[in-house]
Amino acid sequence: MFSEKVTLVNPQGFHMRPASLLVGEVAKYDAVVTIVRNGNEIPGNSLMAIMAAGIKCGEEIEIRAEGAQENEAGRAVVDFIAAGMGD
Amino acid sequence: MELKGTAASAGIGIGRVTVVEEPDLSYTSRTVEDTAAENERLNAAISGYIAYTNAQADTMREQVGEKEAEILTGHIVMISDPFMQGEMTKLIEGGTCAEDALVQICEMFATMFESTGDELTMQRATDVRDVKTGVLAELLNKRPVDIGGLPQDTIIVTHDLTPSMTAGIRPGVIAGVVTETGGLTSHSAILARAMELPAVLSVPAACTSLKDGDLLIVDGSNGIVTVEPDEAAIAAAREAQAAYAAEKAELAKFVGCRSVTADGVVIELFANIGKPEDATQAMEKDAEGIGLFRTEFLFMDKPTVPTEDEQFEAYKKAALICKGKPVIIRTLDIGGDKDVPSLGMEPEENPFLGFRAIRYCLAREDLYRTQLRALLRASAFGDIRIMVPLVTCVDELTAVKDLLKRYMIEFDQEGIAYNPDIMVGIMVETPASAIMADALAAEADFFSIGTNDLTGYTMCADRGNEKVRYLYSTYNPAVLRSIKRVIEEGNKAGILVGMCGEAAADPLLIPLWISFGLGEYSVSATSVLATRKQVSLWTKEDADALASKVMQLNTAAEIYEVLKEAAR
Repeated sequence: MFSEKVTLVNPQGFHMRPASLLVGEVAKYDAVVTIVRNGNEIPGNSLMAIMAAGIKCGEEIEIRAEGAQENEAGRAVVDFIAAGMGD
Repeated sequence: MELKGTAASAGIGIGRVTVVEEPDLSYTSRTVEDTAAENERLNAAISGYIAYTNAQADTMREQVGEKEAEILTGHIVMISDPFMQGEMTKLIEGGTCAEDALVQICEMFATMFESTGDELTMQRATDVRDVKTGVLAELLNKRPVDIGGLPQDTIIVTHDLTPSMTAGIRPGVIAGVVTETGGLTSHSAILARAMELPAVLSVPAACTSLKDGDLLIVDGSNGIVTVEPDEAAIAAAREAQAAYAAEKAELAKFVGCRSVTADGVVIELFANIGKPEDATQAMEKDAEGIGLFRTEFLFMDKPTVPTEDEQFEAYKKAALICKGKPVIIRTLDIGGDKDVPSLGMEPEENPFLGFRAIRYCLAREDLYRTQLRALLRASAFGDIRIMVPLVTCVDELTAVKDLLKRYMIEFDQEGIAYNPDIMVGIMVETPASAIMADALAAEADFFSIGTNDLTGYTMCADRGNEKVRYLYSTYNPAVLRSIKRVIEEGNKAGILVGMCGEAAADPLLIPLWISFGLGEYSVSATSVLATRKQVSLWTKEDADALASKVMQLNTAAEIYEVLKEAAR
């Protein structure tokens, strides 16, 4: 299983645009991606659940990925978040 | 009969009423046995909703624009969420009917969005509820009224103009909109403005007091709806309609242009706002920044003083809307005629010469600290500039700068981001600051001339007092000399000099401002294009010739006559 921590750097956190871009990123790979925040698991393929979590700039979250392409998926998601999610 | 409401989208529409009511989406909850079939029902409704919304988005893209269509494609993205659909399916598998499953899950997400504390996500709760209504209409087989099929010159009267309704509107067919709810920054208002439809919002009981077929004049510029007007009123409305169209066509030429005089002197054209949301309209009207953001609204009509976080969110919001353009925020300007109940200020015999604005703030450092820290934090999100009101001596400005330095050190220790080069300027609105302009220019990063108070204080005349109102005029040579001096001293020191009073948009005075060398004009959002046009009509040379004539005159009446004669 892939697991790595990453800190949100885009000032506005997970609002709709970055959340949908992230879901799009997840969909490219054969892996189940989960965001873990304060012990809560958020499905990485759900725009709604990610937005509802209201994760803010500066927060550290953990990215987990499981499946055939878990390393590729996890790496892509972590890099995407670390790069500011297009904001 | 006349009805009054909010003037939300300018222009005049004449036509007949169609009341558009939302379909009745009430249903009876039940327990389901055949859960697979019920789930299929929900899936079919979702597919139907997506197909219908897709078609609406296409129409919207064609007739209004990409940005408005994105509201609808966003709805499709939301309902397509596999996790959310899965949660609905789980409820149905437990025997819940499709309607209840949809409503419960959508409401759950809407509530979660609202409690995130993130402004952008909180606003999306409305969209989740729109999705809920849309899919529910599919489940109950009750699609909304087809606005696309309405006859020529229809005035839509409705509770609230929704994006899905707007998608059906064909330009040239719908003459205007009247709603029962919504303010200047509501979805309804933004959509009506984007479609250039005259709209009057928040007309109480419009849906019940107006009937299908009623003849109406919708005056979206003044917020007035005339019911069953007589022929004279219709003729007057047609004339106003033509004049508005001609004016609009003329001003439209100035959208996207630089603000520049006929001989190429570039000026900056900003807008005045009172709430962060107002910045949206200012940007729509092509303002190049915000020249005056009044912060009193945060403090008025509230039982408690706003916290640093609340203020930070408001300032940050304005900065984000302006996307890097300058946002000049004036610190708390209370006292005088502006009372703030939560501060418990004592009544004074002479409040305009009393304990107000910067005087009050410097004495209440607890309060001022909250505001200055919020402003500094927000400065990490855009070009925020701090403007100090009612300055009369240099010490006031240095005191504010010292406070800011102290808070910056606090932030460095706390690891909080801010703009260390934030500009700090003053509002020049007292005779003392005009006289001391040279000394103040050495300390301030910019000046902004507040012509309303400067006129009142220079002339010692209250414009609210009928007996002395004749003295309250910016055309007075005393006021004009004062303004000229402020601009010249500021320019000499190399700082930006702006103006944020009503006089900045006065077409008669604009040639004087050009001649004096005013660098930034801050006007109401609706005056931005007209001001850009006025500035473009003058060369510096012509303006100088007029100004040298005007500045030799000794009375306001003579000055007014000469400026009026020269008006372009």
